[in-house]
Amino acid sequence: MRWILLFKPGWWVIHIIAIAFILWLGHVVRF
Amino acid sequence: MDGSRTISLKDEGMTKKKMIKAILVAGLFFLASGGWLLHLRIHPIVKDADNVIPLISGIISVFCLPLLFWFESTITPAYMINGFLAIIGTIIMTQFSIVNFKGPATLGNIILNSTLADISILWGKFALGKALFDLHLLKSDKDMAAKGRFFRYPNMGWWWVHLLALAAVYSLGNILWK
Repeated sequence: MRWILLFKPGWWVIHIIAIAFILWLGHVVRF
Repeated sequence: MDGSRTISLKDEGMTKKKMIKAILVAGLFFLASGGWLLHLRIHPIVKDADNVIPLISGIISVFCLPLLFWFESTITPAYMINGFLAIIGTIIMTQFSIVNFKGPATLGNIILNSTLADISILWGKFALGKALFDLHLLKSDKDMAAKGRFFRYPNMGWWWVHLLALAAVYSLGNILWK
């Protein structure tokens, strides 16, 4: 199955970086 | 001129595909320019750090994405960047609307006094990007019908999942990380 994609290191790396970036974006943007 | 008569059907098909691609890339450029110029008009570049986000995403959308979509080798990153810019723009502009909302929350106010118009421009840009990406994948009409996995990349369900996920993560950063 293509769900095996979830276990590849690249998937984790990109998602951890992306989650950190979006969390930071939510932190800095204040209206 | 006489040489044009010898163009095979296949070449003619490629030419039409290229013409559609050129029109879509032009549409992307004009739509991005329109959105970006509107943004520069509302928020001139001042010391406010929040205005840097639309500035940078505007520069990427207007100058980088049309080029990335044009070359076959960079269509996939272009599709990703275009989609995530639409998602991030939607989330931040929705937040802006909620924070700065004035007047009673009537249907008319929600439609006309919010950033719904700006968000619509973004999703128009997303649609153009998706059309360019699908055009790139399109080899025959059968290819389109064969796709069945709605929630898997590069289908729309994948984008809906990411819209919800990014909104959740962004909200956590905004609410919990002071």
